[in-house]
Amino acid sequence: MSSPSTGASGTGPARPTAGDVPAASPAPRSKLGEYIFAALALALGIFVFVGAFSIRVPGAGTQVGPRVFPFLVGTILIVSAAMVVVDVIRGRLADLEEGEDIDSAAKTDWITLAKITAFVVAHIALIELIGWPFAAAVLFGGVAWSLGAKRWWMALVIGLALGLVIYVLFGGLLGLSLPSGPLLTWLDPLLATLRG
Amino acid sequence: MDNILSLMEGFATALQPQYLIFGFIGVLVGTAVGVLPGIGPAMTVALLLPLTYSLDPTAALITFAGIYYGGMYGGSTTSILLNTPGESASIVTALEGNKMAKLGRGAAALATAAIGSFVAGTLATVGLTLFAPIIASWAVTLAPADYVALMVVAFITVGALLGSSVWRGLTSLGIGLFLGLVGTEILSGQQRYTFGLLPLADGIDVVLVAVGLFAVGETLFVASRMRHGAVALIPVTRGWRSWMTKDDWRRSWKPWLRGTAIGFPIGTIPAGGADVATFLSYASEKKLSKHKEQFGRGAIEGVAGPESANNAAAAGVLVPLLTLGLPTTATAAIILSAFQSYGIQPGPQLFTNQPALVWALIASLYIGNVLLLVLNLPLVGIWVKLLQIPRPYLYAGILTFAALGAYAVNFSIVDIVILLIIGIVGYFLRRYGYPIAPLVIGLILGPMAEAQLRRALQLSQGDLGALFTRPFAAICYLALILIIGLGLWLRHRQSRLERTLAAAAAADTSLKVAVNQMWDAGDRPTDIKTRDLRVIPWKDDESDSPDDRQ
Repeated sequence: MSSPSTGASGTGPARPTAGDVPAASPAPRSKLGEYIFAALALALGIFVFVGAFSIRVPGAGTQVGPRVFPFLVGTILIVSAAMVVVDVIRGRLADLEEGEDIDSAAKTDWITLAKITAFVVAHIALIELIGWPFAAAVLFGGVAWSLGAKRWWMALVIGLALGLVIYVLFGGLLGLSLPSGPLLTWLDPLLATLRG
Repeated sequence: MDNILSLMEGFATALQPQYLIFGFIGVLVGTAVGVLPGIGPAMTVALLLPLTYSLDPTAALITFAGIYYGGMYGGSTTSILLNTPGESASIVTALEGNKMAKLGRGAAALATAAIGSFVAGTLATVGLTLFAPIIASWAVTLAPADYVALMVVAFITVGALLGSSVWRGLTSLGIGLFLGLVGTEILSGQQRYTFGLLPLADGIDVVLVAVGLFAVGETLFVASRMRHGAVALIPVTRGWRSWMTKDDWRRSWKPWLRGTAIGFPIGTIPAGGADVATFLSYASEKKLSKHKEQFGRGAIEGVAGPESANNAAAAGVLVPLLTLGLPTTATAAIILSAFQSYGIQPGPQLFTNQPALVWALIASLYIGNVLLLVLNLPLVGIWVKLLQIPRPYLYAGILTFAALGAYAVNFSIVDIVILLIIGIVGYFLRRYGYPIAPLVIGLILGPMAEAQLRRALQLSQGDLGALFTRPFAAICYLALILIIGLGLWLRHRQSRLERTLAAAAAADTSLKVAVNQMWDAGDRPTDIKTRDLRVIPWKDDESDSPDDRQ
């Protein structure tokens, strides 16, 4: 559901007379992504509405069955998503959220997003294989590296330390056992004694 | 008075050493996480929710109350000290506080924010103590139709009035309501919208949605367009004396009280929460101030008033939450789900069924406020250190804790998969300008609204008119129309104000011009306090070049 940067081809830097767009404003965004997202919300609304018909209504006696609220929700989604589409057609684009660490003039960095997503997936795959502390180190180190930490091994070490501390805190004090993995099985009896 | 006695019993509980420690930990962790840039109160509460799982209800709720108040305090420190140009116009406190800090009066800005928050938080908690039992005993008489009306008001105000676009807000609300539908339907016991998937049969866990949207979604959004290079912090003068001058006190105490008077009532009604209160307070301070020309350039009233309003509203939000079970902000919705995870349903019966718990909670709010005042002023140095955490590590840490929180719900890997999916949805919501709060409210309030709606129509034998004919419900719908009209007008005013402020800020960005306009030569704080200035270097030892992308 990503929006490829269609705007880039049309409004390249080779067109200095870009009309009435003020120089300070960020690069013009493509509307395509907005349409796709609104269309998805619209599709969700239709899905909710149509799906409500397949909900069984238990025998007579109850005036308001389990279908009524889904119908309402579907209607809200359909109407408001359609109005968003109308807004976008009229040129009323979204106000982007602002934040301390956000460079509102920057272009979307899809590669970093892909890297981060990949590391979360790796974390999910590794938890039960190599144990939570090590999987956490992979997640922390990987994400920090993706976001521009230069010494990746430093990020990995911090991640491992964080993972081990959390593992001991959770297992020892809060009584929640995270998977230890093959390397840390010797730690569990120790933690058990710590819990008393 | 009965309530005073109950409150004293509450203090007796909350002052027990172990609960005091939990309160202290909550306040400390809440402030620390709240200070971290990019983490608002809602994300703070969502991220820390799993940590309270293994505690007993009273300890958990006391910790949670501390986190809630602490997160509120922490946010102001960030906006005052973090020097990120361009963004501050969106938050009024940040605007004036940031300007004050640039003029070398950061310590005064922090002090007036902290003391104002204390004053407002305490007075608003007194308000909560006085009004909540009255409202609760009256709320017992409310019929399902009245609850439906209240929830419709909450849905529409949060959905339509928060965020930049009415329809995007309502779309977000609809998505939240849909997520609330997923799972097993209570009365007929059949599954709705689960696609036959077993993990969805119990519904989607609120923690997953909240952490996914706030922590993962926010991290992805920041990662997609991160500001690289050094973290620009504004140095703070050290020492007690630089906190607040006599003149600062004189100019601050009225805004504190006015901010409280504005913030508390607005917090109690479902009208968009603290944002509206801070804006109203800022506007009224600007109108009443004798130093109008300083507004937009670092007026202390512009920090004192909105900060107090913000905290008073935060306490006000607890009134409908505790007495009606009605969350009016995303943060309150997450707190409600924390209550529910302990099998406690906030509502009119809470004060009669769980008096010990409620009053211990309220007492802990008083204690938390005192702790926060004590913690905040002297420990500013530590909070400043937290602000300097290199961003790659900060966001890596947020993601790690988010994954931990999701995993800790059921110790199931599927939950992290759901978390990631919700996080990606959260990223696209942000990317296309859909507000997050309506979604969270819809998810948590949706199932409750459905239950009340069905109960109301059951009572009226399916007559839809019964939803509007009860006097209280009718008043609610009338008020809703008023609130929408008022809200749209306010939004118009707000965008005008923001434009004016941005123009004023753009007109003279030179620090020298601003200093020269405010003080005569010799009186300038930058003149006298330079020797005290503690310049905080960028401590990332990884690279010296500002654009350190590989």
